[in-house]
Amino acid sequence: MRAFSVTLGLLALVTAVPAAAHAETQEPRPKPQAISPAASGGPTVELDDLARPTLLERELQAVLGRAGNAPRVTVPGGRARLGDFTVGSSENISGHLLVVRGDANIYGRLLGNLVTVEGDVVVHPGALVSGDILTLGGDVRDMGGEIGGEVRTLRSTSVFASAARAAEPPPSALETVFRRGMGVLGVFLTLGALGFGLVMFGRPNLEVVSDTVSHSFGRAFVTGLLGQILLLPTFGMLIVGLILSVAGILLLPFAVVVYALLVIVGVLGGFLAVAHAMGETYTRRRMALGAMIGSPNSYRYLLVGLGAMGALWLAWAVFGWVPVAGNMIRAAAFLVTWLLGTAGFGAALLSRAGIRENFAGRLIPPEALTDEYLWATPQYGVPAARRPGTRTPTRGL
Amino acid sequence: MRALFLALALGCWADGAQAQSMRPFGTFRQLHGETRLSARVEYAAGALHLAPGRPTDLYRMNVSYDEDRFVPVSGFDAARAEVVLGVRPAGEGGLRVVSRQQLRQVASVAFSPRVDLTLDVALGAVDADLELGGLRLSSLSLETGASRAVVRFSQPNRTRCRTAEFSAGAADLSVLGLGNARCDRIAFEGGVGKVTLDFGGVWSSSSRVGVRMAVGELTLRIPRRVGVSITLDRFLATFDPAGLVRRGGGFASANYDRAERHLDIEVATAVGGVRVEWSE
Repeated sequence: MRAFSVTLGLLALVTAVPAAAHAETQEPRPKPQAISPAASGGPTVELDDLARPTLLERELQAVLGRAGNAPRVTVPGGRARLGDFTVGSSENISGHLLVVRGDANIYGRLLGNLVTVEGDVVVHPGALVSGDILTLGGDVRDMGGEIGGEVRTLRSTSVFASAARAAEPPPSALETVFRRGMGVLGVFLTLGALGFGLVMFGRPNLEVVSDTVSHSFGRAFVTGLLGQILLLPTFGMLIVGLILSVAGILLLPFAVVVYALLVIVGVLGGFLAVAHAMGETYTRRRMALGAMIGSPNSYRYLLVGLGAMGALWLAWAVFGWVPVAGNMIRAAAFLVTWLLGTAGFGAALLSRAGIRENFAGRLIPPEALTDEYLWATPQYGVPAARRPGTRTPTRGL
Repeated sequence: MRALFLALALGCWADGAQAQSMRPFGTFRQLHGETRLSARVEYAAGALHLAPGRPTDLYRMNVSYDEDRFVPVSGFDAARAEVVLGVRPAGEGGLRVVSRQQLRQVASVAFSPRVDLTLDVALGAVDADLELGGLRLSSLSLETGASRAVVRFSQPNRTRCRTAEFSAGAADLSVLGLGNARCDRIAFEGGVGKVTLDFGGVWSSSSRVGVRMAVGELTLRIPRRVGVSITLDRFLATFDPAGLVRRGGGFASANYDRAERHLDIEVATAVGGVRVEWSE
């Protein structure tokens, strides 16, 4: 019950914090006023063609986004207003109209196009807008008036978003450390969950790939490197081959998906196998030194290995804000991760995803398996038995 | 501990939800005495619903689109009475992979039932439901890529239709109630897929149908009261006559000579199957 209430509390927190933050960013509507035309050569917004609203939005973003509370913009053949604006029933306005951060209430006649930014358009009964209407971050309510042109509404807008973003202070070092630390933790948990699944359902394969990394690291790295280089050419050959075979065209979508899946499984599985190998090596060394390890199993190996890999990235998360050194730590972490990932991918290729043990150091040389010692010293009085054969059984050779 | 994991999961979910950038866009135009409209609907990816709208609106479209990869299209040429609606890819050319995010795009398009409509629909990877019954459709062209589309004529077309042309790439296409379409000529051309042509509805005139299909399954659902003849040109395709009798080089229904309305179908297919189903 307590856990449930805690969960509810967290849920409320997660949903409430962004809402509160959003509420804080809602600015009050500015006092209605005319926007002065810009000086010669200053920002200009053409409202003749509203057919491409996203393009016009970008233009307005460039003009209004940086202008703050006192924008100056020229609307050729029209006018611009800040705040709510009303065209009275007896009024007759010729030319385009731009209304920024306010609603446009039309009771009279507007002979031109109408654009609002962060505001609605209300066309009242008997009103006329002869041209097109575009609202960026608003809605159009047709209460029975006449609209000669086309009505377009983009109900959200980013016209002032860039300005808001620019006004935001950069995150502090502590915030940066926390965000990066949480990112590293997230990746660690994800890889941990995937690794646990792999141990649970494919431990033999994981152990073979892990042993391949341990016993043939150099070979695995070179194989991984070659594998990376040949990934795209192989994919291209597969596609071309299927297309040339005509009948294989139908298999093309499946082949693409299967190939992508195999690559992901190879890279991810190989990486986890490297973590397993690192953890196993470390744990065994500690045990050799006499340390008491509770349960030296694959789960522990994996966690220890992932922790070792994550330590470098954690160092970057903590010290990444330090000039020069932060970049060096990041480069080192990237390089080490790539090295280990390449070796893991190579090991996965060498061991055919953990099916083949040839490079895993598990094959005992034939002479080590000989039963010669059984025959070398026959007991007194017991005649030596006949050697059953010359060939010594071995595994997989 | 469990609460901590749950909080982390919720945080990840909230972050993912915020990362989505679906944007709503709407457009419409009042009807100002127009009598005809030539409309082209271009829709690259997502779900599309098209239906008759309010008589006072010439057209109307509401779409929620992926603003990172698409731009909404809405342009009316008053001189030629032409409109283009839909969403187009934001970039030009290049390899484009349709993601789950793009497939979440939803559009709803409506046209006035008062104007004579020439409709041209081009679909990409789309799940489309087009209800064309009740419109004044004077001609129709539907071109689909890798789409699943259902075209319905639930009510009779309010005017005569010259042609209805369907072109499908790798698609699952069903055209239902073609008898209501009142089209003089119906043509279908398909690459790979599954196609159902349902000729139910109120038959007010005879019609000619041409079907060219490379690989796939074609189902012809035909009302018993209409006299049907089928001419087949097939390579490795199977055909089940399902009660049709041999007549000349093709097949025909027993009531062909007696029937008031005739449906003459020419089918050319390479690999697949042609199936005839009867409806009342």
